[in-house]
Amino acid sequence: MAVMIETKNLIKVYGDITAVDNVTLSVERGALYGLLGPNGSGKTTMIKMLTGQIRPNGGSVSVVGIDVMRDPIGVRERVGIIPEQETPPSFLTATEYLNFVAAVRKIPDIDEKAAWWFDFLDFRDKKDVLCKDLSRGTRQKLMFAQAFIHKPVLALIDEPLINFDPIMQRVVKDYLGEYVKKGGTIFISTHILEVAEEICSGFAILHKGKLLHTGSVSDLKSNNQHLDDFFLSLVQNGAHA
Amino acid sequence: MVPMLDLFWNMMKEEWRVHSTMFGSISFALFPIMIFAIAFMGSFLLPVFKSVLPIQDMLIITHGNFLLLGLMVGAFGLLGNEVMNRRFGQASLLAYSSRSLPLSERFIFANFVVKDTVYYFVFWVFPFIAGFALATPFTHISPIYPLILSVTLTSSFLFGLSGVFFLSTIYVRSKRVLGIVLVLILVIFVFAYKFAGISVTSLFPPLILFYSFSWTNLIITCAVIIIPFIISIALFIPEFTDTTKRYRNMLTSMTRKLWFFPYPPFSAKDLIDMHRSGSVVGQTIFSFIIPLALIWFFLSALTGFLPAYGIFLQFTVLTGVIASTMYTWLTQFDSFTSYSCLPVSVKTVIASKINSFTVLQLIPIAFISFVSFTTHNVPYLLPALVLCISISFYALSVIVYMTGLSPNVLLYDVKVLFVYLISVGFPVLVLGALSFINPNYALGSVLLFLPTLYLIKLGFTKWDVLDQPIF
Repeated sequence: MAVMIETKNLIKVYGDITAVDNVTLSVERGALYGLLGPNGSGKTTMIKMLTGQIRPNGGSVSVVGIDVMRDPIGVRERVGIIPEQETPPSFLTATEYLNFVAAVRKIPDIDEKAAWWFDFLDFRDKKDVLCKDLSRGTRQKLMFAQAFIHKPVLALIDEPLINFDPIMQRVVKDYLGEYVKKGGTIFISTHILEVAEEICSGFAILHKGKLLHTGSVSDLKSNNQHLDDFFLSLVQNGAHA
Repeated sequence: MVPMLDLFWNMMKEEWRVHSTMFGSISFALFPIMIFAIAFMGSFLLPVFKSVLPIQDMLIITHGNFLLLGLMVGAFGLLGNEVMNRRFGQASLLAYSSRSLPLSERFIFANFVVKDTVYYFVFWVFPFIAGFALATPFTHISPIYPLILSVTLTSSFLFGLSGVFFLSTIYVRSKRVLGIVLVLILVIFVFAYKFAGISVTSLFPPLILFYSFSWTNLIITCAVIIIPFIISIALFIPEFTDTTKRYRNMLTSMTRKLWFFPYPPFSAKDLIDMHRSGSVVGQTIFSFIIPLALIWFFLSALTGFLPAYGIFLQFTVLTGVIASTMYTWLTQFDSFTSYSCLPVSVKTVIASKINSFTVLQLIPIAFISFVSFTTHNVPYLLPALVLCISISFYALSVIVYMTGLSPNVLLYDVKVLFVYLISVGFPVLVLGALSFINPNYALGSVLLFLPTLYLIKLGFTKWDVLDQPIF
């Protein structure tokens, strides 16, 4: 099975704080992989390093077979990204933003594709509204559309469901499941453990920048364990260690 | 009274925290010390300055600077929430919290005005006056002057602050009325200057007060500051967004029209940003025409000491410096996080901003052409345009190298600002002097494009490998 994400001894330091401390991780093609951790554990920093937004202070990182430090643009061409904060440009409409993304990514037939996403995520009525005037949930829908509109081989999503209502959460979870079945790979970072337990196949737990555990949800279930109990015991032990 | 004081005090703390978060506590705390030091040391150089520039003109320029400071602080204050949202995500300022606090918008705005007055007096105006006052025992200047200056420079600052609040209040109510008010002000000045023979600077109340300190003049000066403040507070209406408004797709057609640009969708996006945010009109009036009109107002006081072409070319130089700040217009509502999920480099975004900046340079070109026609300086139009655009692009290249995509934040860092002032100030002084000797020497400013290209290239390399700063 091809490896889509591989980090070796990855380190990121901000001043006196080591945000990511010697993390070695591997995610295979077709996985729906969850990076779990409490607030401030280094999840967002990990995603930023995986997508070449920030440079690590040590270690190596490869995504879709490309060395991220050498060719971050090449990585971003092939993957879809939904950052932590939804940041579509304030003064473009939702339609214009998807047109902008299409122009940058050189995606053909954008009107058709955009129309499909507006319908699928149920925000056609907001397509001509400025991004700054959209609700958080609608902005998240727009960011979701821009991340998948070019059919990437891998999508990296920071907190994928946090702004969605329960109906949209169901739609998105189903979409992610189908996407993986068709051979795509998803890497999500979240602190909502119920979501991770429901949709993820594999997971890693990060705490204070350190990788505490990697494993599969099915192994956990076969041991009659719940992810939230396992997570809490691990993190609390980690905190006391 | 208690909520007033509470709100005021919390606004003061908030302003400090915004600045110290953006620029670092120490860097920002050093700012007033730097102003104090410049004023203190500058006082010792007054005899030298006096030999080339009459003391009356120095006073005009100093008061003009404080007036400009007031204008800038006011303009930034009014844009504060939008800037905060772009910098910190869903952030907000107390000034915009009328929906969550049981306080009226007018009450909050009144506090905001008082907060700006006190805060910037403490951090900007007072250090300057203190530096000058402390030097008086050594410079043999009567200690009465720092005392008078403390009143008149503060008045100049407040005059700018109240002026911009007043004009922007009208702007929010009716853009047409704002246009009429500006034309009216212009007509009064032109009439006073052309037909009544009154020097425009003698119409500036803080200067009148400086030359003739009396209770009557003090009351008049206070009145011209307080009345616009009161009108602004009385007429204040917050700009709530109409979330139901729909816009037609401009991006696709504009991208097609800009096909000859290296990055058409990026430039199209920038121009749409400028258009829809109202920045094209707002920034052109508040950040370009009004400051330059004031500079012309104060430079015109030098008529009689300097040749007309010299004043025009000095004005051109300053227009070039101010035109370079149009880069900050393009980056103010935008940060690299908007592009971080796309396959684009920082270099590409900076380059696209420079393209959009190039389009905006039509504004200074039109402006300088207009000024040359109205001041009978048409023979010097070509050197003036070359000088203005060369300086604008050179200053832009310094900004790009020093600040990347974050000029609105990083230029306030003391170290960055110091290097910027030195890097831009030196060639500006040299070119200003050369154009005095012979206006055609200004054409030599085209050589500035060599360091310009070099600095932009260095800036691309520098910002492409650095993590984008988070503020």
